[in-house]
Amino acid sequence: MRSPLARAEGLGSAKGGVKHWWAERVSAVALVPLTVWFLGSVIAHAGGDYDAVITWLKTPLASLAMIVLLLALFHHTALGLQVVIEDYVHSDARFAALIAVRLGCLALASAGIVATLRIVFSP
Amino acid sequence: MNSKPSISDVTVARRRPLSPNIQIYRPQLTSVLSIANRITGVVLSLGAVGLVIWLTAAAMGPRAYGAVHGVGSSWGGRIVLFGFTFAFFLHLCGGIRHLVWDTVHGFELRSIYISGWAVVGGSVALTVAAWTVSLLLAG
Amino acid sequence: MIVESSDQVARFTLLKRFPVPRNFKVTPESRIEKGRTWPAPPGASRIKTFEVYRYDPERDGNPRIDTFEVDLDDCGPMVLDALIWIKNKVDSTLAFRRSCREGVCGSCAMTLDGTNWLACTRFISDMSKPATIYPLANLPVIKDLVPDTTHLFAQYEMIEPWLHATTPTPEKERLQSPQERSQVDGYYECILCFCCTSGCPSHWWNGDRFLGPAVLLQSWRWLADSRDEAKEKRLDTLEDPFRLYRCHTILNCTRTCPKGLNPGKAIAEIKKMVVEREG
Ligand code: SF4
Ligand code: SF4
Ligand code: FES
Repeated sequence: MRSPLARAEGLGSAKGGVKHWWAERVSAVALVPLTVWFLGSVIAHAGGDYDAVITWLKTPLASLAMIVLLLALFHHTALGLQVVIEDYVHSDARFAALIAVRLGCLALASAGIVATLRIVFSP
Repeated sequence: MNSKPSISDVTVARRRPLSPNIQIYRPQLTSVLSIANRITGVVLSLGAVGLVIWLTAAAMGPRAYGAVHGVGSSWGGRIVLFGFTFAFFLHLCGGIRHLVWDTVHGFELRSIYISGWAVVGGSVALTVAAWTVSLLLAG
Repeated sequence: MIVESSDQVARFTLLKRFPVPRNFKVTPESRIEKGRTWPAPPGASRIKTFEVYRYDPERDGNPRIDTFEVDLDDCGPMVLDALIWIKNKVDSTLAFRRSCREGVCGSCAMTLDGTNWLACTRFISDMSKPATIYPLANLPVIKDLVPDTTHLFAQYEMIEPWLHATTPTPEKERLQSPQERSQVDGYYECILCFCCTSGCPSHWWNGDRFLGPAVLLQSWRWLADSRDEAKEKRLDTLEDPFRLYRCHTILNCTRTCPKGLNPGKAIAEIKKMVVEREG
């Protein structure tokens, strides 16, 4: 029985959202050179045998770029998937899905960074 | 008292139907590229999982890496990777288009359509180019 | 195809509709059923077929699609003329809104051949065969082509669309340089027909909280006004993950605005202003 205005107001403005929006753009800008570098490198090592890939990942530039790439990539993924879930999931599952996405991205980014470091510090 | 319900009673008591939206609204370059950017984004998050698997395999040693590499260079694997490449370029080009819009440029309908078709053409061309170079280098 | 302005009617489309099931996300009371056919009067030679959405709240039954054959020799050139012809000559119960019949009041906005436009400024000759007429998309239907816009106007009310100034009123008017005045060009012309909001997919899924292009364009009209002294309050009202940031720059709004305005650009201006306020 709420008035139309009360319904439109809902719980009021969250006075936020700009940080999410801005972080999505910043990570996007970072990902442009990083992903192009990654794709270029993969193509250059297209033969892709184990030794070539390890030698490449052991160079300081490649390992550093890979770690930054993983951070930006999974940050961007988490932000993007959050918007998709907020758009389409209107049930109680929304909260669980948002947490799952966050934790999943955190876990994957960590796993990727650990793997990179293991390669760098392998004998 | 008049027991006959008034028109407003009747209309309020019944839930109003919702006029159709996506079921009838015409797909346009604007909405199609938007949903494409979204779908490719979701596809690429799966690609990101693949990246982590690939890195982890490389860290585990030649055997694990060989297994993952084998899957990737099989025919099925190549088709999937080709799909990921196209998704990547579409999302990249579409993303750059969005970044330009965020600076409040390119909003005239003409620019919207030109940049839209450029994204379509550009991502197809880049995908083909990337695979050509890759296959040539692999010999 | 390169679209140069919103009044360009798409003559060729790869897809007529998105490949989703007919009743995708459709609640039982909104399911559309087959209606009846109203044949052209005897002797009519130039006949155009219109498929029109019908819903009668006073009768049982779901919305349906009626088919009308209109005698073009007896009817004006615009889609609104065809609706008036149907109401006068065939079925007087057909309900639709109209007032100015020249694209300035915004009453006759409808979904014509799958995109939103004003019935009074769309030529019948630009309609497909058969022509389809639905009420403005994604709104509760009161009757036939008359949608309930209560929520949209409540959202409009929320942004307080009038000049806010605490500086005492000067003796004459509040002055604006021609340059300052030009900042609201392209925004003040909005007739609140809601073609844009009704065509915005983001408003379809989250219209309860997302303000939609029409209301956001109106917000920018006041944010861009040099005489307004409530920027902070206005931006506070808007800065919200749903109210403002549900806009994903899809730009269906700009494609469909029958006044040729650019809600998508207005929203980008607001987002930019919010960032500027941050730092
Ligand atoms: S640009 Fe924003 S408001 Fe316009 S149709 Fe797209 S999402 Fe909706
Ligand atoms: S911006 Fe255009 S489409 Fe939207 S309400 Fe105003 S006049 Fe109508
Ligand atoms: S009748 Fe006024 S805009 Fe169509």
